[in-house]
Amino acid sequence: MCGGTAQTTNSPEGWQDSAGCVSGAVSGPGRIYKKLLCTKIQKHAEPGRSTDHMDLNNSWSCSEFDLNEIRLIVYQDCERRGRQVLFDSKAVQKIEEVAAQKTEDVPVKMSAKCCPGGSSGSNSSHTSSGGSLHHAKEQLPKYQYTRPASDVNMLGEMMFGSVAMSYKGSTLKIHYIRSPPQLMISKVFSARMGSFCGSTNNLQDSFEYINQDPNLGKLNTSQNSLGPCRAGSNLAHSTPVDMPSRGQNEDRDSGIARSASLSSLLITPFPSPSSSTSSSSSYQRRWLRSQTTSLENGIIPRRTTDETFSLAEETCSSNPAMVRRKKIAISIIFSLCEKEEAQKNFQDFFFSHFPLFESHMNRLKSAIEKAMISCRKIAESSLRVQFYVGRLMEALRDFRDTIWNLYSVPRIAEPVWLSMMSSTLEKTQLCQRFLKEFTLLIEQINKNQFFAALLTAVLTYHLAWVPTVMPVDHPPIRAFSEKRTSQSVNMLAKTHPYNPLWAQLGDLYGAIGSPVRLTRTVVVGKQKDLVQRILYVLTYFLRCSELQENQLNWSGNHSEGDQILNGSKIITALEKGEVEESEYVVVTVRSEPALVPPILPLTAAEKRNPHPAGSTETPEDIDMRDLGPRPDREGSSRPEQSSEAGSVRYQEPALESSWKPQGTFGETEESRKEVPQGCSSRFSSCEVLGTEIKVNQQTVSEPWKVEIPKRLPDRSVAWPCPSRHFREKFPLEKVTFQIGSSVSPESDFESRSRRMEERVKACRQDPGSASSPSAKSRVPRDLAQDQQVSRCSFEPGFREDACRPQPQSSEGDGGESDRGFAEDRGIRTDTVADAAEQHHHITDSCAAPNSGAGVRGSTLERARGQCWQEVEGLSLAPVPARCVQRDSGQVPVADVPCGDADKRADCRMQGDIPRNESSDSALGDSDDETCASAMLDVGLGMEASLEVELPLPRSQSISTQNVRNFGRSLLAGYCSTYMPDLVLHGTGSDEKLKQCLAADLVHTVHHPVLDEPIAEAVCIIADTDKWSVQVATSQRKVMDSTKLGQDVLVSSQVSSLLQSILQLYKLHLPADFCIMHLEDRLQEMYLKSKMLSEYLRGHTRVHVKELGVVLGIESNDLPLLTAIASTHSPYVAQILL
Amino acid sequence: MNAIVALCHFCELHGPRTLFCTEVLHAPLPQGAGSGDSPGQGEQAEEEEGGIQMSSRIRAHSPAEGASAESSSPGPKKSDMCEGCRSLAAGHPGYISHDKETSIKYVSHQHPNHPQLFSVVRQACVRSLSCEVCPGREGPIFFGDEQHGFVFSHTFFIKDSLARGFQRWYSIITIMMDRIYLINSWPFLLGKVRGIIDELQGKALKVFEAEQFGCPQRAQRMNTAFTPFLHQRNGNAARSLTSLTSDDNLWACLHTSFAWLLKACGSRLTEKLLEGAPTEDTLVQMEKLADLEEESESWDNSEAEEEEKAPVLLEGAEGQELTPCPADSSLLSGCGSWQPRKLPVFKSLRHMRQVLGAPSFRMLAWHVLMGNQVIWKSRDVDLVQSAFEVLRTMLPVGCVRIIPYSSQYEEAYRCNFLGLSPHVQIPSHVLSSEFAVIVEVHTATRSSLHPVGCEDDQSLSKYEFVVTSGSPVAADRVGPTILNKIEAALTNQNLSVDVVDQCLVCLKEEWMNKVKVLFKFTKVDSRPKEDTQKLLSILGASEEDNVKLLKFWMTGLSKTYKSHLMSTVRSPTASESRN
Repeated sequence: MCGGTAQTTNSPEGWQDSAGCVSGAVSGPGRIYKKLLCTKIQKHAEPGRSTDHMDLNNSWSCSEFDLNEIRLIVYQDCERRGRQVLFDSKAVQKIEEVAAQKTEDVPVKMSAKCCPGGSSGSNSSHTSSGGSLHHAKEQLPKYQYTRPASDVNMLGEMMFGSVAMSYKGSTLKIHYIRSPPQLMISKVFSARMGSFCGSTNNLQDSFEYINQDPNLGKLNTSQNSLGPCRAGSNLAHSTPVDMPSRGQNEDRDSGIARSASLSSLLITPFPSPSSSTSSSSSYQRRWLRSQTTSLENGIIPRRTTDETFSLAEETCSSNPAMVRRKKIAISIIFSLCEKEEAQKNFQDFFFSHFPLFESHMNRLKSAIEKAMISCRKIAESSLRVQFYVGRLMEALRDFRDTIWNLYSVPRIAEPVWLSMMSSTLEKTQLCQRFLKEFTLLIEQINKNQFFAALLTAVLTYHLAWVPTVMPVDHPPIRAFSEKRTSQSVNMLAKTHPYNPLWAQLGDLYGAIGSPVRLTRTVVVGKQKDLVQRILYVLTYFLRCSELQENQLNWSGNHSEGDQILNGSKIITALEKGEVEESEYVVVTVRSEPALVPPILPLTAAEKRNPHPAGSTETPEDIDMRDLGPRPDREGSSRPEQSSEAGSVRYQEPALESSWKPQGTFGETEESRKEVPQGCSSRFSSCEVLGTEIKVNQQTVSEPWKVEIPKRLPDRSVAWPCPSRHFREKFPLEKVTFQIGSSVSPESDFESRSRRMEERVKACRQDPGSASSPSAKSRVPRDLAQDQQVSRCSFEPGFREDACRPQPQSSEGDGGESDRGFAEDRGIRTDTVADAAEQHHHITDSCAAPNSGAGVRGSTLERARGQCWQEVEGLSLAPVPARCVQRDSGQVPVADVPCGDADKRADCRMQGDIPRNESSDSALGDSDDETCASAMLDVGLGMEASLEVELPLPRSQSISTQNVRNFGRSLLAGYCSTYMPDLVLHGTGSDEKLKQCLAADLVHTVHHPVLDEPIAEAVCIIADTDKWSVQVATSQRKVMDSTKLGQDVLVSSQVSSLLQSILQLYKLHLPADFCIMHLEDRLQEMYLKSKMLSEYLRGHTRVHVKELGVVLGIESNDLPLLTAIASTHSPYVAQILL
Repeated sequence: MNAIVALCHFCELHGPRTLFCTEVLHAPLPQGAGSGDSPGQGEQAEEEEGGIQMSSRIRAHSPAEGASAESSSPGPKKSDMCEGCRSLAAGHPGYISHDKETSIKYVSHQHPNHPQLFSVVRQACVRSLSCEVCPGREGPIFFGDEQHGFVFSHTFFIKDSLARGFQRWYSIITIMMDRIYLINSWPFLLGKVRGIIDELQGKALKVFEAEQFGCPQRAQRMNTAFTPFLHQRNGNAARSLTSLTSDDNLWACLHTSFAWLLKACGSRLTEKLLEGAPTEDTLVQMEKLADLEEESESWDNSEAEEEEKAPVLLEGAEGQELTPCPADSSLLSGCGSWQPRKLPVFKSLRHMRQVLGAPSFRMLAWHVLMGNQVIWKSRDVDLVQSAFEVLRTMLPVGCVRIIPYSSQYEEAYRCNFLGLSPHVQIPSHVLSSEFAVIVEVHTATRSSLHPVGCEDDQSLSKYEFVVTSGSPVAADRVGPTILNKIEAALTNQNLSVDVVDQCLVCLKEEWMNKVKVLFKFTKVDSRPKEDTQKLLSILGASEEDNVKLLKFWMTGLSKTYKSHLMSTVRSPTASESRN
């Protein structure tokens, strides 16, 4: 910045360097940077004696972040004249001229006045740093505006896009520029301006005057550089009609119905307290948010932002008839550090805190608007430019400061509530520590009811504590002192994901009541130690949710990932993946291939040549098909089946060596494993359908399974029960619980699987003897046969095909399989239980025709019956044909009369091998849950049966505590100066507060960081020097100029609470019990608010006496209790407002 | 995550095209909602969105729609599509994945079926590939507005030996309405999407290299005179991504990957949100219920119910067996709903107070609150029953032991509410005891004078009630604080019955909280008497009657609570290790 023009314009390195060497020179921001660093260090150096635990630290190390690397560009795009740079901070040089006399005229002073939070405010910090900065009022530093940097055209292109958009509202863009690493955030606004008063023309004109830069557009000597006010009557208004502008106190009802928070106003109140709406308000906020931002039903623009860029003074009415197509883009560019770590840090911060960045950007925008408008009043070109540039630089400096502050502010290391929630080990110590501080404050600083007033205010406005005391109806899972996490919210997050960061931000600001209020708290005081204590204690009452970061992995062991899938394609992908992995190691982006291998659907090739069931194929072929597509299923709508097929694929990797893709029969080492290949996959798929993914995992490794279960649940409503049965029966070779995000299975299932495992082991040890005769019989069979069998069973539709004449099976598309489906279902419902049972018998008999003859006799009868039913359903189904078909592949079954039945039997055979007792009563073992889910599946399946189903891979979730969230970043410690975003912080003096607060509050309402309209912005100011607690709000102007807001009424509920906690503590009741009691008392307040809301249902006026007599609610409690009530009974606000 | 992920392609012939698009379908209502979690909002949401939602849902899955995506979907006409602009073969129904646990479905088609979404995706696609400018042309951009949704886009090239410049241009876009959410997810999405892109590019590179090896295009092209139509003519200008990557399963793979991406992004951050502890009443009710269940397990009368979610069960059972929850009493009080039965019953405490008269009621209530035995003698079982149901609302659930109607006297330790038939003899020591109160219900003579005026009390007017106790309460005694407050609430006709109910809830909880402290103090920690006295005054309960009341109410503490306190005393660290 102090460097020459040449340096700054071109290479970024040069830029950086010049910025770096600035220190001694002019650059304001550079100075701040240094200064803040110092303060930070100081803070670390002198921790308060008793406040060690409140020690402050930075969540974000920002040493790598250079303020000067925030660049501002303003661009305009006019239909007629194309694009012009209106400002580029990189092109601005500051000239140290003590006597900038010319600029010392009216507009400057005016600017100082009309831009609160602007010059003087931030200046104070600058000057205090002892720099060579000048007060704006006295000497406006003279800036020289040079040629914009060379990249500016490119950046303009990025801001506006290469094609003009017709959209009138504002658009938001974020670009990442790789080299040099930069992050650009830009907003494009439609301009609203005077029709003939050439607005920015003057500016353009002026720049050219200075620059003589032809690139900046054609010189436009606008005559009318005077009096935009005069021009006002003709001001054009390009705001689209559907975007009503609004006054600052309006309810912005364009958005009201859509706003998650405000719409709570419209919602019928919750029923009686008996309904278990424990965390209802939190829950509801989140639910509504997920609904209002839903894409499922098409989009509903939630609110029409009337964000235009105003080039006309607000006092001027605009003339909509004169619309000129002009857009203004404002862009902020953050140069990122080349160091990965620092870069990542800042990016993390930027993206997680984006709402705050955006809010400040909006501020910057309004400052620019104002500068543009007011500079037009200046007739003389050079002055005008000087003024304009000065103002913009000032605004930019504010922006830089704010961002810097936000990034680097000292934070409370151990917010009490969050720590209690998350830390497991030190809870008692934590309680003791907190209670010690808490009671100390009650005792020492409650003179004048100061502390009670502060707590009253905090409880009244930061309402997120309310859901944490609403009693629930379910039993506590754990100990008493511990509240449980809200299950309903957890479930909601799973089924209807919303943005937890957003939810947390709302909680912190207390924006959960209705109407929505956004609250911050500032503790002012010279005694740093005391202020820090207060801040620390308040972090118990300023509550929010704790965030967890979950890394979801789809393959448990990606080291195995290499063998994923069939064929070389996958392997290549993986190779590539590994290469990439090494590339990304630093970023730690992935630990697994990003392309999730599908659990295969039908590939096109396979679709094209469907294999008839009985056709004699090479084992390889069959095998392949087993894994992949069912010929006849292809294109047909059978999600379940394809999913089965898919799941096979999927599990392969997990199976490790147990399965080799495509035609690797001969290669498989263990015959045991070879045999079951198809089956195992099928079985697992069945599990997928019927139950959770987890189960799936377990069964993967188990090769014995047959598809019965699979088929059952997915096909027929009536059949789900057996699946459990089978599960139980089927031995598991290896139980690997993959704990994913899925709901844990019934506990008894685990034990069952253990049992299974044992059985399996038994079987495994000597497969021949341990297993049933049928198993033996199976052994001799050749693989192909096995395969065939399994394949047949694999697919119901297929099976039917088999019964039918060939043509059908080869027909292979939707119609046919659909039919099959229908038939199937019919049959199934008829024969549920019986059939299931029979299958076992049949299986046995089929599998071991020789040994199981006796059994077979009877079972066959039944089987036949069933079979006939099926046949009837089919109405065609020439048995002989089918048998023939099957015969080709499978000798032993030849004597089974009925095609379908025996076919099934075949399949089942394998499953039954280990356990031959076909009469297993487990059939009757109805697992409701399984049933239910199976039925659900069927339901879903039928509904959505059009698409081919591909199962999702099972998941494994690794959770870590997320510290980069608002709960950790917006609860700050003792800061050198007042700051606008923080939910909580302390500061030494209220000087800046006085200057900025009103504007900040207004800004907060206008540009709510919550991305939805809010009704009011509130700031609680506790002054430990004056022992006063005041509440400032965006809604009321304070009459008394000595005050920032209104004094707080001390709630007697709160003071009695404080007193009793103190007394109990003095009676040496243990800290955690005191805290339990504290929570109980907070719960009492909640209950009283319930009563109050009930009372208000029938009354429009509160007769305080009535409440007082009965419940001890006094008038000073009313603000608190109504605020609490507004979180659960929105109508309260309506009544009282 | 409420988003759409799509793969877009800039076709040399047709410009920007959406190739493949994965949407998320959620269950219309959250799963928790069924358990009474938020009936209000549930309904509300249904009203507000339900219509649209259902219809669109059905639409999306209606056979006509899905089966013939080609014909009815708003997508481009067949003629406008070349191999390069197509993903799934014509007539391919698309893919679907179910996430069982969350009831979320991920559906993939070439285009969304929903017309509005179609245009949103289309717009995002066009913007991503031909409007927005990304330095280097490959890389991430975020853009969007409220009207068209917000988009995270990552553009990239895929090698194609036959394409102009040997590469084709694609983008993967993520569209959301929740702008903040999308921006928050940028680092995550960038990592994942780039991973997908890298793998796609890797596959394509292999193919490209193989093709170059077989037939070096560059050399060939260098030798051929440039003809502008060459690429369009040779038919290879439009190669599908499947062939460029030589992966027949590419679309299935992308479906799974996109679905996975959506799932992973949606569950990337989760919050832990605490809710309040259950009230003592709730706890006790649950304990009682658990006992009942244990008992009834052998009869196994509600197997099915047990499979249900606990809260449902609880609510159901509460209604059946543990009547005095506020909902019930409000039912009772709703005159209208009870009118038809015309049973002579008490509807509320206020009603009872009117019927008995203030002094009698006060005496009765006093005894109830202090845990003395309350005996009702009447021929009318329903009446007695209703009296108990009403009276018990003054006490914590744990303090209520009712024998609704007995043919013999039962000792006080067995019950504090006892209903007796008129003939049963009450032992004389009970009659004279100050710890018992007896309400005798006689059929009234015509001249009965109880102060009821309302017509709905007619059923009760045939009775007259005599309340007696061994030692009548002195009229000037202040009595327990809670009694006075209850009386005040009952007296004040401005307070609706619902308010009174809430009021009772508050009062009970308030006093139970005192009980808890006292219990901790005396029973757990066994602190000396002086301390206890101090404590009582802190609690505002040092008067004799209040102390008595607290002592009685202590018996109503839940086992859960008591054992928790006891255990933490025994092993102070016990509670720490949990979480």
